[in-house]
Amino acid sequence: MAYEVSIFLENKIGHFERVTKVLKEAQINIRSMAINDTANGWGILNLIVNDPHKAKAALSEKGVSVALRKVIALEMRDEAGGLDDLLMEVAKAEVNFDNAVGRVITEKQKAILILNVDDYAESIKKLEQQGVQIIDDQTVYGTS
Amino acid sequence: MAQEFWQEEFETLGKNSLQKLQVERLNKTIEHACRSPFYSELYSKKNIKPGAIKDISQIEELPFTTKQDLREHFPYGFLSLPKKEIIRLHSSSGTTGNPTVIFHNRHDLKSWANLMARSLFCAGIRDTDVFQNICGYGLFTGGLGFQYGIETLGALSIPAGAGNSLRQIKLMRDYGTTAAHAIPSYLGRLYEVFEAEGLDPKKDTQLKTLVIGAEPHTDAQRKRIEEMYGVRAFNSFGLSEMNGPGVAFECTHQNGLHIWEDSYVVEIIDPETLQPVPDGEYGELVMTTLDREAMPLIRYRTRDITRIIPGECECGRTHRRIDRITGRSDDMFIIKGCNVFPMQIEGVLMKIPEVGSDYMITLETMNGADEMVVEVEVKSDWFRGDIKRLNSLSNTITRQIRDEVLAKPIVKLVEAGSIPKSEGKAIRVTDNRKNGLLN
Repeated sequence: MAYEVSIFLENKIGHFERVTKVLKEAQINIRSMAINDTANGWGILNLIVNDPHKAKAALSEKGVSVALRKVIALEMRDEAGGLDDLLMEVAKAEVNFDNAVGRVITEKQKAILILNVDDYAESIKKLEQQGVQIIDDQTVYGTS
Repeated sequence: MAQEFWQEEFETLGKNSLQKLQVERLNKTIEHACRSPFYSELYSKKNIKPGAIKDISQIEELPFTTKQDLREHFPYGFLSLPKKEIIRLHSSSGTTGNPTVIFHNRHDLKSWANLMARSLFCAGIRDTDVFQNICGYGLFTGGLGFQYGIETLGALSIPAGAGNSLRQIKLMRDYGTTAAHAIPSYLGRLYEVFEAEGLDPKKDTQLKTLVIGAEPHTDAQRKRIEEMYGVRAFNSFGLSEMNGPGVAFECTHQNGLHIWEDSYVVEIIDPETLQPVPDGEYGELVMTTLDREAMPLIRYRTRDITRIIPGECECGRTHRRIDRITGRSDDMFIIKGCNVFPMQIEGVLMKIPEVGSDYMITLETMNGADEMVVEVEVKSDWFRGDIKRLNSLSNTITRQIRDEVLAKPIVKLVEAGSIPKSEGKAIRVTDNRKNGLLN
């Protein structure tokens, strides 16, 4: 199973940079990122990185509030309609998700959609029953 | 010239006669107090007897009473009369600690209503006025305290209660309100509602007089309120331990608040040395009730910082004037008319395992309203990366603080380790409101 790195971040100048600096020093490669702002002065930064466990350890050591969350990575085609076709399958499987981020793996061929779900085990089961291809961790993290 | 005083015989007493009256009433007060569990024990230990006071300066020989004493002897330890004689109580909030509760018998309520009427009269309000009391009724003294005062004065009272600005404006316009009482920060908000409705209180109401209190404010804020509403605004001072409103009030000269010395002994002390300071110097206000039977308080430390304004007032009242309250000798602050101790907030946070006990309170003026911003650290090991969980935590903290202090805070979750650790006397409260609301 793949993990994303979730970080509690105040919406203040320099706070994001503090995180990226730690990751740079730990030689972590960020594959994709998304920020969810709450309009309450804070948000959550979600990262897919080449080594989530190492990233968490490095950030924790610096006192950053960080958590690893299981994510589901699904394959889609890198072409018009690729996301729509995939989402139709996800909907048929009756899987609901909170956050999603997408990334191209191979230009014009392969992309992935990474989902946060409430019930990880149940969602995996439903997707497998629907025949949706779940991508292995190495493809999610990429080769560093 | 029309009648100038509500009770000329008391309000213009010469210094000697006033002090003689105080001595007489203080001895009576000590006699009453000695029937309460708290004072009977304290005074018998110190060998203080009713009738011991020959000169008012001897009050300095009596021990102080503190808020802590009130809390420790909650609820009935200060009661000087059998419960059957008591007809009302007023109390502070406080779901964690003991609230501060004050009891009144029929005499006390009558005496309070009279002082309140005297106060309104001295600010120029008459029985011909229509008086709208924009203030919470219930345990808070500002509602019923003013209500009884307005009725005793004989003006037409509108017990409007707090909030609901559109209704307040409608009441003012329907009944031709000429005078009103509200906390100063609310009047800023209410003015915005007037504007939003396309109304100008100067033209569209008959307001002449506003009474503002229950919240410290500056003279600049008062002037802004006077300009907004086209009225004269008078400063009202009171605290529930001394009944509530009607303790000290500005007269039409608007130069300090006459504190009713036939009903209270007023002292200003240095909060460190506990020694009296001369008139004109700032210190902590210490007060003694002189006309309360159910629950006399003797040398009560109010924690409010003020001074006696030296000299006589042109209005002819001989009762001395205190200045605006400039601060507190403890860390209490007032927001939205509610008294808040940082310890209350700390108490709430300590019971919520998801957050650390370090916190910061910032008082800010936002969109014309005073707000209490509470910054709280989320514990790193509780964090799971889930926004819903954090939002629900934030809502829980907001609700619990509001339940405790009655004022709704704006809770901001911050990163662990971003708030300075409490070492000794860490400053937990920053007040950025200075002139903020109305400037």
